[in-house]
Amino acid sequence: MISAFTILFAMALVSLFFHRSYLLKPLSLVALLGAGYATFSGTVVPLIGFGTNEQIQLFELVLEVVLFTIILHESEDITITQTLFLGSASVLLLRSNTLISFILSFEALSIISVVLVSYIKTKDQAEGAVKMFIAGSMATGIVLLGVAFYLMGGGMLLAPLSTQSSLFMGIGVSLMLAGLFYKLTIVPFHGWAIDTYALVRHSHAAILSGVAKTVATLAIFKIFAPFLAEHITLSMPLLATLAIITMSLGNFLALFTKNIARILSYSSIAHAGYMLIAFVAVKSSYADEGILYMAIAYIFMQSGAFLALDSMKKEYNIETLDELKGFASQNPILSFFFTLQLFSLAGIPLLAGFLAKAVVFYAGVDAGLWWLVLIALLNSALSVGYYAWIIKSMYFDEGSFKTRLVELHLPLTSQAILATGTLFFGIFAGIIFG
Amino acid sequence: MSALGFIFSPFVIAILTALFFRKESSVSKFVALALFTAMLLFSLHLFSELPSSGYLDLGTFLAVPQFDFFLTLKVDMLSTIMLTLTSVLLLLVALSSWSMKNQALYYSLLIFFSGAIFGVFMSTNLLWFFIFWELTLIPMYFLIGIWGAERRIYAAIKFFLYTHVASMLILLAFFLIHKEAGTFDMTLVKEGILLSPVLIWWLLFVGFSVKMPLFPFHTWLPDAHVQAPAPISVLLAGVLLKMGAYAMIRMVLLLLPETSQKYAWVLLALGLITLFYAGLMAIYETHLKKMVAYSSISHMGLIAIAMSTLSYTGLSATLYEMIGHAFIIAPLFLIAGFFHHKTGSWEMKNMGGIMQKAPYISAIFVLAGLGALGLPGTMGFVGELSILLSSIKSFGLWMAIVALGSMLGAGYIIWTLRRVIYGEMSEMVRKTDFSMNLFEFFALTVFALFIILFGLFPNLLFEYINPAFVQFSSLGGAL
Repeated sequence: MISAFTILFAMALVSLFFHRSYLLKPLSLVALLGAGYATFSGTVVPLIGFGTNEQIQLFELVLEVVLFTIILHESEDITITQTLFLGSASVLLLRSNTLISFILSFEALSIISVVLVSYIKTKDQAEGAVKMFIAGSMATGIVLLGVAFYLMGGGMLLAPLSTQSSLFMGIGVSLMLAGLFYKLTIVPFHGWAIDTYALVRHSHAAILSGVAKTVATLAIFKIFAPFLAEHITLSMPLLATLAIITMSLGNFLALFTKNIARILSYSSIAHAGYMLIAFVAVKSSYADEGILYMAIAYIFMQSGAFLALDSMKKEYNIETLDELKGFASQNPILSFFFTLQLFSLAGIPLLAGFLAKAVVFYAGVDAGLWWLVLIALLNSALSVGYYAWIIKSMYFDEGSFKTRLVELHLPLTSQAILATGTLFFGIFAGIIFG
Repeated sequence: MSALGFIFSPFVIAILTALFFRKESSVSKFVALALFTAMLLFSLHLFSELPSSGYLDLGTFLAVPQFDFFLTLKVDMLSTIMLTLTSVLLLLVALSSWSMKNQALYYSLLIFFSGAIFGVFMSTNLLWFFIFWELTLIPMYFLIGIWGAERRIYAAIKFFLYTHVASMLILLAFFLIHKEAGTFDMTLVKEGILLSPVLIWWLLFVGFSVKMPLFPFHTWLPDAHVQAPAPISVLLAGVLLKMGAYAMIRMVLLLLPETSQKYAWVLLALGLITLFYAGLMAIYETHLKKMVAYSSISHMGLIAIAMSTLSYTGLSATLYEMIGHAFIIAPLFLIAGFFHHKTGSWEMKNMGGIMQKAPYISAIFVLAGLGALGLPGTMGFVGELSILLSSIKSFGLWMAIVALGSMLGAGYIIWTLRRVIYGEMSEMVRKTDFSMNLFEFFALTVFALFIILFGLFPNLLFEYINPAFVQFSSLGGAL
């Protein structure tokens, strides 16, 4: 049987020949359906160092649905190809078991992300892409330095991360995590993300912050969780501090921002903080499900929000809160979907964002860290301030739109699929717990 | 299964109504009326099914055993009474919103709210309770933010943020309960097995105090009350605050009786402060609706005092006053909103002599006002008297100061009546035409009838209220 990776990778290569052809989008969508079927039937890449389990399989399915909606939404050929490449790298990363396969597929994902944003049309996009490139190279260097230390301490490349540690292994793992935290936009490694997410095209930001970041988070958790659990006395205070700083800084800065994409970037950083709670609470048996739930919820809502913003930018030239005023009366359906995803990001119930936070935070309480969870909950309440503010601009303020009928069939279909995902995982939690 | 339908079908109906009846928006009113009538019939039907004590099991859905996450629907006498009260109020609110702008969206938000609030009163799984509790915020946020007065945006966001922060404390308490008791089902939690009942008690207490609201957590309410359109103020006072009081009884007093006994004085103290502080603020106000809002808060103080007795009579009095407060404050808000709508002013000094122009509506305003100050023959009297008696019984004679609170009530109500209803007819009132929509008129009449009916025959209610707190008849009281 052919695995999801093979289908996506092959389609990505083939898609190069279909640029400027109306066949590109349908073919890519069919390939994603095929990949979804392959994931569903459980075939794997027949390679040492790669394997899958039920949780990963579920997340892969979700990932393929989200990639489907991104391609449905997207109108640029080059981005469709990059999305397919990114999808195949994501599948590899999710399935990697050993250190070497993890590092390789992680780098593949990073490089494709850089290539994705390098499709530059304006000066701003160039700035975002360059920042990401430099930060990404730095991060790679640090990760590789960490690997070197880890190997020096007696670690193995062809095995999962060891849980025993010598001094050098400890330094190595810490350095690796520091490098990887660049990708997860953990404060103080977050600087590049705000600009990159806000400056590059919004559909690229959806892929970067919605897809690539969640995939990386899940994969890092899978590889590093045993090590962190083994050294809980050291990892717990360190990661808890990072989590607190990350979510507080993200939320506070978002409160004072007028640019919508920038607000979503800060919110993305805040969410990295919430996800880090699962790393802190790794001892709890709910941490696994928590991070998985968070990843699934986040990939739907963040991609949904950024894709909605992409449509708004393209068709109505909306970038700031002022320009958003009165949008609900202009396009009620797109506003509804955008509102739904924002509420989910804010953690309002019956949407995936709430249950995801609930499970992650419960894992924190379960690990005995109720004070950390209290800070996270208050942060989450604070975040309502800026999400509600965006919604306020859309619904409560009078706007000055020139009435112009815009047909958005495909983007709205993709929004509908993403909203369905957000709603589905907000009500039916059973599927996550297997 | 039908219980589940009444929770989730409103969400679907709300979205469909908003989408498909945008053009013929008057259809949405009838959809809402039909749904709320069905809800009322369903709640009334529940009374006949209830067992003599304990819970009626309505089924468990959406099971996630690994996280103890079940949508368990159980009702007892307390929740059935709350369901009935809510559906009556929803029905009357739907009637009194007959001439709102942008009706399709308005009524679909009301419908959405009805589903969430039914979920609050029916689910006994703490996590689902919390989900519905939070969900009530969304329609309210839009209802205040879109249909409110001048400072509606400020009020809507303040309301949302303030109560959301409080909810976070509640959620943390629920997590701690699950960690320590091993279950999210509130009917299975026993206080004895909790390791940190005091922490949980404080988290829950502060969380629910915001919703009730008690001093010093009340500051969101005057803004929300004043800026919201009149029917939504009715929902805030009659349903949302009652939801806070219900949760305080259910999660704090019934779930953690021993710790509550220990800290009953906190509840009593905050109740007394709320009663007097809000009463004084109401006397000071010249803004008609703010006066009504502070009067509403002041009565929530009374309710807190009655709760703090932790006795059978006290809790019965609480529930009676909760219902009485809903029926009395509703016409006050509706008529205040009506006066503003007609005259364009909130200031009492601009009004006066409305009695001569609109005798019937003024009469209902006077009746509700007298109910608020506790005139015998109205629901207010029975409520305040039973609260006074039960608190004297539990805390001793010094609780007679509660009567002083009622006297404050007499002060602001009578002065308001003097300034608005009676007195010289002002120029503004002379120019105004006080004709009222038939449906709004009908809703007001129903409220007035309830105030007198249950005031003269309180046993009609106590017959149902008393069995709700049988488990407390063994406890003597707090002190």
